[in-house]
Amino acid sequence: MTDGEILDGIREVVHRHLDPEARIAPDTLLVEDLALDSLRLLTLVVEVENRFRICLAEGDEAGVRTVDDLIRLLRARGA
Amino acid sequence: MPDPSTLCEALVRAASFPGTGLRILDREGHAGFHAWAEVEAGARRVASGVIAAGQSPGACTALVFPTGIAFFEAFFGVLLAGGVPVPLYPPVRLGRMAEYHTRTGAMLKAVRADLVLAEPRIRRLLGETVAAAAPRVPRCLSPEDLPEGSPGRPDRPVAAEDLGLVQFSSGTTGVPRPVALTHRALLAQAAILESFLVDRPGAIHAGVSWLPLYHDMGLVGCVFPALTRPGVLTLLGPEVFVARPATWLRAISRYGGTVSPAPAFAYALAADRVRDEELDGVDLSRWRLALCGAEPIGPAVLRRFGERFRRWGFDPGALKPVYGLAEAALAVTFTPPDRPMSTVRLDRAALARDEVRPDPDGVELARLGPPVPGFAVRVTDAEGHDLPPDRIGRIRIRGPSLLAGYLHLPRETAEVLRDGWLDTGDRGFLDRGELVVTGRDKEILVLKGRKYPPALVEQALDGLPGLRAGCAAAVSHRPEAADAERLLLLAETSRDAADTDVAALPDACARAILAGTGLLVDEVVLLAPGTLPRTSSGKIRRREALAAHLAGTLSPPDRVTPLSVAGWYVRSAWAFTRGPRPGRGS
Repeated sequence: MTDGEILDGIREVVHRHLDPEARIAPDTLLVEDLALDSLRLLTLVVEVENRFRICLAEGDEAGVRTVDDLIRLLRARGA
Repeated sequence: MPDPSTLCEALVRAASFPGTGLRILDREGHAGFHAWAEVEAGARRVASGVIAAGQSPGACTALVFPTGIAFFEAFFGVLLAGGVPVPLYPPVRLGRMAEYHTRTGAMLKAVRADLVLAEPRIRRLLGETVAAAAPRVPRCLSPEDLPEGSPGRPDRPVAAEDLGLVQFSSGTTGVPRPVALTHRALLAQAAILESFLVDRPGAIHAGVSWLPLYHDMGLVGCVFPALTRPGVLTLLGPEVFVARPATWLRAISRYGGTVSPAPAFAYALAADRVRDEELDGVDLSRWRLALCGAEPIGPAVLRRFGERFRRWGFDPGALKPVYGLAEAALAVTFTPPDRPMSTVRLDRAALARDEVRPDPDGVELARLGPPVPGFAVRVTDAEGHDLPPDRIGRIRIRGPSLLAGYLHLPRETAEVLRDGWLDTGDRGFLDRGELVVTGRDKEILVLKGRKYPPALVEQALDGLPGLRAGCAAAVSHRPEAADAERLLLLAETSRDAADTDVAALPDACARAILAGTGLLVDEVVLLAPGTLPRTSSGKIRRREALAAHLAGTLSPPDRVTPLSVAGWYVRSAWAFTRGPRPGRGS
């Protein structure tokens, strides 16, 4: 998958499960810009895993703050 | 056989009944059955390892596991080794670890834990967490890393008065309070809950729960009663429910769940987010006890849930508001199984004066049922004198499952526990013997079934330009029409804050709180300096500030009224415009 395809996938997940109008760009801050409290964060993680058919391990989160960080993490996990 | 006097005895006895145990669903919905005999065998392995690792009897061992068989082996293993298990919440994936390390480290420190047992992948993340418990840094192992114990049964004597569990309750300051409960209290609570599970011929009660095992409703409410009952308890992880609320309802249908508890927010989440097509073939008609507790309940939410799922056989009469708290192990009052939810409507103005006056157009509050067997409830004034039935006051309780105390906190224990009566910090009244909770005096936040100290939120604002340092109050309350409590921040601006800064402040506050605590603030109210009511020693009176805000009387003292700031009253639309939207049918 290209970074652009992964970005589209993340956008699709966010629009479908969290906020249909959220702006999703590489520099979007996950928690602050998408207003993710712990429940919504969990929803994002699980739906991203479902969408990309991968499993994020505990420990993967280190340093993930932006959509771009998430793209890199997903790519490292084989998306 | 005499009744078991400890959780250890209860487990050993349960293990002798074939076909009883736990059914644990993974994220794909695959079910694994674990007989109590298997749990006991695993627990004995852990127990001998814990003893070989040098844990002394009575010492606290913290447990950090997702919902799974390893949690139960570790929990009962620590008990069989004569220790005290302290279940803690695991880190949220993609969550901010800094906040997790600080809070969890403080909890380890509060119980003086010597040992942390964790699921192997989680264990790798806990280095900073245990370091935050300094100076007494506990060892952190996964069960596989425990030293080989001596074969055979470790047989440390465990007595009914020994501690069987420490669970956390929130105080006002940053550090949660460890609630210490004896085996006797825990089994008394299990027996109370079991008394409501009356089996019918051919219809044995079956529990289904997605509640976290570090939460009283999940562990004390679901797991302990299952030890002494026929049948199988079905469990799924909280993350499975949160991501796909329909899995909860499907599990109830598939495994014939008759009893399943949840906080009010979960009923709202399910009613709003489950899509019709996710419920193909689902039958909820066997669900007889849909218990609702852990946070103030908006009766409208439960009605909405009941109507929404009637098509799938759900009986709205199964919805049972209940009241309990960690300090009582769990349940204190319970809506009777044979009676649907009922509510009272009260005059708003009278309510504000702590008077109970029925009004058919007034605010609607759920009746939470009479005290459970063995419990007594009183409503008193601040000094502890009983009030007449038409007055609202402090709720005090007495019963067989009260805490032994807050661990290592004798002063805090003495503040709430006097002559066998526990001051709950909640306010309410008894309506023909049934409890109605109207609010609370204790300054804690209750959000999505969990309790938080307000200081946690206020500290997240440290250093934010434009705010007056240390002059903010985080409060939560349920507006009349809302499903659940909302988080409200009352914050004073600094004297030199420019108008332009002030306009951006609500958003900045909301972001700082989200980043620092993972909580979404619903409303930010900016106030002129000196507005928040304080004690003589300068402490902000949060509940008083909330009451004044709601009454519209929160105003700055006359002498400090710079015109540019006076009357600043910014309501943030932040969370409303970006918050979750109901996804029904989408």
